[in-house]
Amino acid sequence: MLVKIGIPRALLYYHYFPLWECFWGHLGLEVITSPPTDKSVLDRGVIAAAPETCLPVKVYYGHVLALAKAVDYLFVPRIISAQKGTYICPKFMGLPNMIKHSGYDLPPLISPTLDTNRGKKSWQRAHIQAAQGLGYNKKKALTAWRYANYRLRLYREKLQQKRTPLEFLNHDHSLPRSFTSPTILLLGHPYNLFDEFTNMNLIRQLYQYGYQIITPEMLSPVIIEREATQLPKHLFWSLGRTILGTAFHCLKNSPVVGVIHLTSFGCGPDSLVGELLERRVNKLSNLPFLLLTLDEHTGEGGLITRLEAFLDMIEWRRSS
Amino acid sequence: MQAYLGIDLGSVSTNFLVLGPNSAVLAHHCLRTQGDPITAIKAGLTQLKKQLAPGVIICGAGSTGSGRHLAGVMIGADTVKNEITAHGIAAAHEIPAVQTVLEIGGQDSKIIILRQGMVTDFAMNTVCAAGTGSFLDRQAERLGLSIEHFGQLALESKNPVRIAGRCAVFAESDMIHKQQLGHSMEDISRGLCQALVRNYLNNVAKGKEILAPILFQGGVAANRGIKQAFEEALEQEVIVPKHHAVMGALGAALLAKQTVSRKKKSSFRGFEVSHWNFKVRTKHCNGCSNTCEVVKITAKGQILACWGDRCGRWSADPLVNRLNA
Ligand code: SF4
Ligand code: SF4
Repeated sequence: MLVKIGIPRALLYYHYFPLWECFWGHLGLEVITSPPTDKSVLDRGVIAAAPETCLPVKVYYGHVLALAKAVDYLFVPRIISAQKGTYICPKFMGLPNMIKHSGYDLPPLISPTLDTNRGKKSWQRAHIQAAQGLGYNKKKALTAWRYANYRLRLYREKLQQKRTPLEFLNHDHSLPRSFTSPTILLLGHPYNLFDEFTNMNLIRQLYQYGYQIITPEMLSPVIIEREATQLPKHLFWSLGRTILGTAFHCLKNSPVVGVIHLTSFGCGPDSLVGELLERRVNKLSNLPFLLLTLDEHTGEGGLITRLEAFLDMIEWRRSS
Repeated sequence: MQAYLGIDLGSVSTNFLVLGPNSAVLAHHCLRTQGDPITAIKAGLTQLKKQLAPGVIICGAGSTGSGRHLAGVMIGADTVKNEITAHGIAAAHEIPAVQTVLEIGGQDSKIIILRQGMVTDFAMNTVCAAGTGSFLDRQAERLGLSIEHFGQLALESKNPVRIAGRCAVFAESDMIHKQQLGHSMEDISRGLCQALVRNYLNNVAKGKEILAPILFQGGVAANRGIKQAFEEALEQEVIVPKHHAVMGALGAALLAKQTVSRKKKSSFRGFEVSHWNFKVRTKHCNGCSNTCEVVKITAKGQILACWGDRCGRWSADPLVNRLNA
């Protein structure tokens, strides 16, 4: 029987799953993902995680628990940085330790430290070491890494053709694609944008209301970074850099009709970035701006009311 | 006489308004929802009918508020609109130059920013109770005052006490404390008004550019103590429109008029729905692990609408889709 490795469908899953699936798959492991977030996943996560933590981390716990009984290993990387001079979020650094000591009966964790600040090849080295730890030889692991990297690149290229991770990760092709409907700039961390349960089908709803979206994933990182370097102050949080860089680029170059910032309750980096963002949007344009904050108590009613009022604002302006 | 009906169904109160020619308000009515929106709507319609002169014909109907879908399905609304847009429309109708709307209702509070007659920004607080009318009701009751009397008392205070107003629980215990210290009712009332306003400005209105003309609406706008506290804090005049308590319903009626002028005919079912036997049934769907609570509304042996499902399995019904359109 194949050795099973579990990858929680949460946090940076939405950016790196193809990499990890290909890497472990190529080595001969069976890669298992947790099902899309649903009520039971969320409820378990909320109980398991520290109450003061942000919603996405709670959801991550839920996915870890959903996998716990079904796999031999859990892949919970310690992601520190994916780009030199920046950090993802302090919450990510402690994640493997927090999970390990959560008091649940879990399979062994595989937790390579991924930190580009320790050198360009840090991710490669850490993955290969993790594979060696499971008894695979270095050469085979290196080949797997190369394939995996290639897969990741393909994935990113596809996203840049105005597609969402939902198509590739959830195999959901039901979202209509349109190139003519008005575009809303949808900003936020990938785990907020693409977790359809916690965000109450936001993307789907926007499509149903007759809009298309543009998200940071649809732009080339080079463009985003070029814009982000023009920030008056160096911003360490790479997810925040991405959001701001995307906003600058799109406000200057694309015909967007409104901006939505989707954040999570209890997210430190978001509150900082959110303020910068709102100020910039107001300065560079006079587009309607909507801040949506998700937490485990978010009622769908309140979210839809805000969304509808926001879309009315856009309509109003377009028709006048 | 042609007229338009607007209903604002909230969790605390349900408001009705009938708008006649030349924007005359022919009738309006407010009542408590008391957890039973269907009864509230039926009772309200019956009341409204009594107020209306015989020749009045309802040519269109609209609904708003957190229960707008239910209200819309029950009456056959021509338009179902969120409460932010509805309040904004009503405010711009009252005072076309309005730039800021402060709204404090029973269940929530909002701020709406308008420029050149268009809503350009808004914020809504549904989480914290300290900024809502229900909170004020409770405190007035605790002081043994009616809500009107309480607002009046506040105006008479010379030395308001400072009450910590950051959250409902704090405010309440702080108020009790100040009461025990022997402060006068007047000073406590005024302190409470100031606390509510401070809380509103720091939370709901945070970061918003509050420009005149400023309209203050919602049930709480009847309280003159709060109006005064707003004027002091903003150092500007605050206008309370005549129909401040039913502005959502006014907005819904205005929107209904707009919609009907476009689609030329109304789907309003008439006042007789107050005799219909509406049934709401909730059931847990077992279609997947989300186990959504699906709400189904029936009347006259027909399913009128379903909602509450995350996937559209139950709500993909032509009627509901039309209402949402
Ligand atoms: S960036 Fe925010 S939402 Fe994401 S893990 Fe950190 S605190 Fe949580
Ligand atoms: S309504 Fe849809 S999403 Fe909800 S439980 Fe049923 S099948 Fe699942």
